[in-house]
Amino acid sequence: MTGIQLRVKSIINLFGGINGPKKRMTLFIVVPAIIYYLILRYYPVFQTMILSLTDAKLLRKDYQFIGLENYTFIFHDPPFVKAIINTTVYAFATTILTVILALILAFLLNPLPYGNNFMRLLFYLPMITSGIAIATIWLWLYQARFGLFNQVLGNFGVHPIPWLISKEWALPSLIIMAIWGGVGYDAIVFIAGIRGIPTEYNEAAKIDGATEWQMAIHITLPLMSRVVVFIVVTSIIGSFQVFQQVFLMTRGGPLDSTRVISFSIYDYAFSRLKIGISASMAFVLFIIVGVLTVIQLRMQRHDWEL
Amino acid sequence: MANAFVLRKIKKLYLINYLVVGLVAATMVLPFVWMVLTSFKMRGEILSIPPSFFPKVWTPENYIDAASRLNVLRIYWNTFSVTIIKTFIQIYLSALLGFVFGKYDFKYKEVVFYFILATMILPFEVYMIPLYRMMVAAKWGDSYQALIVPMMFSAYSTFLMRQFMFTIPNDLLDAARMDGAGEWFIFHRLVVPLCKPVLATLISFYFMWNWNDFLWPLIVISSQEKMMLPVALSSFVAEHGTDYGLIMAGAVMASLPVIIVFVIFQRYVVQGISLTGLK
Repeated sequence: MTGIQLRVKSIINLFGGINGPKKRMTLFIVVPAIIYYLILRYYPVFQTMILSLTDAKLLRKDYQFIGLENYTFIFHDPPFVKAIINTTVYAFATTILTVILALILAFLLNPLPYGNNFMRLLFYLPMITSGIAIATIWLWLYQARFGLFNQVLGNFGVHPIPWLISKEWALPSLIIMAIWGGVGYDAIVFIAGIRGIPTEYNEAAKIDGATEWQMAIHITLPLMSRVVVFIVVTSIIGSFQVFQQVFLMTRGGPLDSTRVISFSIYDYAFSRLKIGISASMAFVLFIIVGVLTVIQLRMQRHDWEL
Repeated sequence: MANAFVLRKIKKLYLINYLVVGLVAATMVLPFVWMVLTSFKMRGEILSIPPSFFPKVWTPENYIDAASRLNVLRIYWNTFSVTIIKTFIQIYLSALLGFVFGKYDFKYKEVVFYFILATMILPFEVYMIPLYRMMVAAKWGDSYQALIVPMMFSAYSTFLMRQFMFTIPNDLLDAARMDGAGEWFIFHRLVVPLCKPVLATLISFYFMWNWNDFLWPLIVISSQEKMMLPVALSSFVAEHGTDYGLIMAGAVMASLPVIIVFVIFQRYVVQGISLTGLK
């Protein structure tokens, strides 16, 4: 047998251990999947890593290696530093506030005898609607003069708030919108978490004379900490990739007050065509998300050991 | 006496619960109601102080105007066909992969599985630029292939399908094999019907995700007549940003199909969230 034949045979043997038809089906789907993930996921990530060390431009083929220059540039670039800070503030503020509100909501909604399902259905609305449609609606709600919010606040004598057009209010405006969009989903997951807890604990506590509030704080909440941690970490990870709202509503402005990492990545790659710099920003995002993911996996493993 | 007291206390408690939850539910719906109401108002009425809640005159003007400026039917067709094809391919391939990972044993199975699963942690931004360059190099820029092919497989649904496969008893499959059924027959005629609930959940979720997908279609599709709905809406807003009746009509047209799908598949979406923590 020639070397090539041997190699082909050894590749087929990789999936050894099962008989004919099963093997055929396995090869039929698993091999394309491996090729797909190599070419369309792993290789591009590797390419981003390489591009981040070059001066590549979007529509030019040739580029030169410039070492870590892009990284030095972005960390000395005030707008990008601002973007990292904004994204972090956005991710943590959104997640923490949403989770607290969702927990309260879940505890209030769960015991309701009627209308439980109907109200939960309403909570899905922000989740299923396209982010762009939602951003469009809120653009109108936030409108400084004629928008619903300022008109209603005006009835109570509140001065018009410059929601999206001032650098103090723009980021909080996006956070409020994100809380509105996320609280329903989180609450629904928390209700599932509450219902997954065996009722014996609460029954025992009730016999001992515990109040509803005490049971919620001392029994239900600790028992569903797994779900809460899962939601907290996954929504921080998700919020770090915020893009649509910023793209549609503020374009990072005013004065970079809502510039976020994903928007910078997009901006540098597809408006300024400097994909070398954009790739280095993407890699920074990757490292942040990677660290958060490792924390999540650690916490879950800790859970399993218990 | 004591019982009556407890009962009264519980009722009072629920009153507060209903009040708060009802208020939140109203907050969830209000922006959508406001969107619909604004879209039916005349231009002059939208920019009036104080605002009217219901339109004084219900007018379809904004919809007619939006439909003539946006090639609505074309955009619906683009988005609908791409979304359906993409969702079908993703779920079919995930089911097949999930079946193989869940029910077969082969060398390096775990390694291959985690090799696929690990891609779940990659933010899209990390591979988007090289992916775009690949599409351009393959002369696939501004094409539907570019929207579908790089998203054919999905690690997430593969993982969920594999989990579901564990609940199907091996004896059932072996019995079918004894009767002479081939592996493809077993997958299509036995496993797929058994997976119906989880498949319905995944299909409704992926339909919504694919319909609402934004960043990749924004980058890849450049010509007006091939645009997906969210991208079309976004450039529509950028163009007519101050004509609020018009852009609300656009927003209604963009969100309606997904809301309809949600109402139809409601049961599966609800199941999906509470069972798997899907988002």
